[in-house]
Amino acid sequence: METFKLKVFRYDPTKDSQPYYQTYELPVEKGMTVLAALFKAKEEQDPSISFRYNCRAAICGSCAMRINGHATLACKVQVTHLLEKYNTDTITVDPIGNVKPLKDLIYDMDWLIDKLKKVKPWFIPKEAPPKDGKEYRQSPEDHNKIDFASDCILCASCMSDCNALKVNKDFLGPMVHSKAYRFAADTRDGAKRERLEAVLEDVNLEWCVRCWECTTRCPKEVQPYENIIRLRIMAAEEGYKTPGEIHAEIFEQDILNRGLLNEMLLPMRQEGIFGAIKRAPFGIKMMFKGKVNYADFFGGHKVKRLEEIKVIYEKAQEKKKEIHIKLPQIMGVIYEDKRKTAKRANFAETGGNK
Amino acid sequence: MADLKYAFYTGCSAKGVAPELYESTKLVAEKLGMELIELDAASCCGAGAVQEKDEFLALTINARNLALAEELGLDLLTICNTCTVMLRETKFKLDNDPELKAAVNDVLKEVGLEYKGTSEVTHFLWEIIDGVGLDTLRSMVIRPLREFNIAPFYGCHIIRPPYLIGYEDPDNPKSIEMIIEALGGNPTDHEARLACCGFHSFWSAEEKVTLRLTANDAESAKEAQADFMVTPCPLCHTQLDAMQEEAEERIGTHIGMPILHLPQLIGLALGFKPHELGLQKHVVTPEKVIKAFS
Ligand code: SF4
Ligand code: SF4
Ligand code: FES
Repeated sequence: METFKLKVFRYDPTKDSQPYYQTYELPVEKGMTVLAALFKAKEEQDPSISFRYNCRAAICGSCAMRINGHATLACKVQVTHLLEKYNTDTITVDPIGNVKPLKDLIYDMDWLIDKLKKVKPWFIPKEAPPKDGKEYRQSPEDHNKIDFASDCILCASCMSDCNALKVNKDFLGPMVHSKAYRFAADTRDGAKRERLEAVLEDVNLEWCVRCWECTTRCPKEVQPYENIIRLRIMAAEEGYKTPGEIHAEIFEQDILNRGLLNEMLLPMRQEGIFGAIKRAPFGIKMMFKGKVNYADFFGGHKVKRLEEIKVIYEKAQEKKKEIHIKLPQIMGVIYEDKRKTAKRANFAETGGNK
Repeated sequence: MADLKYAFYTGCSAKGVAPELYESTKLVAEKLGMELIELDAASCCGAGAVQEKDEFLALTINARNLALAEELGLDLLTICNTCTVMLRETKFKLDNDPELKAAVNDVLKEVGLEYKGTSEVTHFLWEIIDGVGLDTLRSMVIRPLREFNIAPFYGCHIIRPPYLIGYEDPDNPKSIEMIIEALGGNPTDHEARLACCGFHSFWSAEEKVTLRLTANDAESAKEAQADFMVTPCPLCHTQLDAMQEEAEERIGTHIGMPILHLPQLIGLALGFKPHELGLQKHVVTPEKVIKAFS
């Protein structure tokens, strides 16, 4: 293939009633990024295309857009890779999702900034600066906890594809929660509780549906979802009793007492008697469909060798004090699946992804 | 045919609210020559909940689950997306951190177990493709699903995050479409193909997030004129099927989109009857399917 189509989202609210797509035919050049392709279209075919950029090196975070449906940095992905990956001759670029487009690929950033302000994304020192005139210091172990979270370039790729944000714009979003974590987990910071209060307002932190889109989209390995989980752990340690915390306790108890979760008794234990009453019609519906395991109302099924789990539980409580679990980024994020290389031939032949 | 023997990890749902998933998996696996040795001593994977209360405990419990498969010398096969990601996360962390692995094994030693890292964690969906093979599957189809437009719903944890899953490209997965085509059906492209069902924030954001996503997903398949959706995950299934009416109430529209488990879909094409596969147990009854196959 010598040329490809660059299909660009166009919208100028001062003259268009509706957004539309405009397609530019461009030569396929080795090493050309989507940002470079946009430049080529702008310089040679249509000077009116508008988009944000600055560093052209995946550092500034300005050029995030949706490319073939998924948010990423336009200066980071190459045209040839995309054409191969999607097995297509067309690359479609849209503004990132969950935001208001201003013109073409440029979107309104105020909304993101307002959200960020809620968690005060700046350092609030715990104590006066060191007397020796040097900077605030921390141990390498303490720094590790926030190292990757500090790499966020505020590109909002994660915000674009977040499932919770898609349906509720009041969710603070992965970029913001992750930023809150970055400061709350900083041993030099003095506003941990204040930050936790901000993310826990209306249990906002627990609106996240664990879809892992943010971590998948992030071009900087910040792993916003993982940071959200750490923030939840921190909140529990600080004594906040959230629905998620209650849920976790139920799971832990069930694993200990029967091995598997008792789904039948879950509503009652999660929400108390009023919750159980509220959900009774649902339960009856499930009963009629033959989905209810009656024995579970009386404790029900237990896994074999349950006693092993009790021993493990006890012993793990001691052992965990000695151990520090490393961040996945430090472990090397690529999971080499041996099985895959061995059996993958079948998959490739049938036309799947490589 | 290769040696298709697996340590079968059922997870909680197949033993709880989704008995039809358990039944249909067993039937279909047997027909396809997959031998499933059920891990009847395995426990819940923690589903992310235990992980955010006590990560070390969650890792140890799952290391035990993996060690049970290793005892049998078999790969561990799941039928739930969340089980898959939780077990693979455990494996990822233990295999990449010798110190952590040693600490976990110190605990497991008390019950005479050891996590070695010799069993892979795989999912029924992947084994249909990599184990059974699509050519074999195609050759065993008795009743092609020709007249059906089928909307794939992957569910998050079978594609994301790639550093734990890595089976196929999370931006453009094709495995479910490939299976639908092998069964003679028409895969329907739709907006929510790779979206989230909302399950995991049910207890904290039922109104604010969960049911809105559920409604979105079912509507997306309806707009694409699918006859039903198919998913490899029982949590997505419970959310999209059992909670669909609740979701409809919130948006004030009737959707009525039936949801099938992946093994049920395969089972139909292999000649099983709808009631054998438990199709009548779904809250949104797949009437068109039941009628066509009875
Ligand atoms: S994991 Fe949570 S924060 Fe991240 S994209 Fe999904 S819903 Fe949003
Ligand atoms: S967390 Fe990652 S994707 Fe989100 S804004 Fe920061 S750098 Fe971008
Ligand atoms: S232009 Fe700076 S990140 Fe792309």
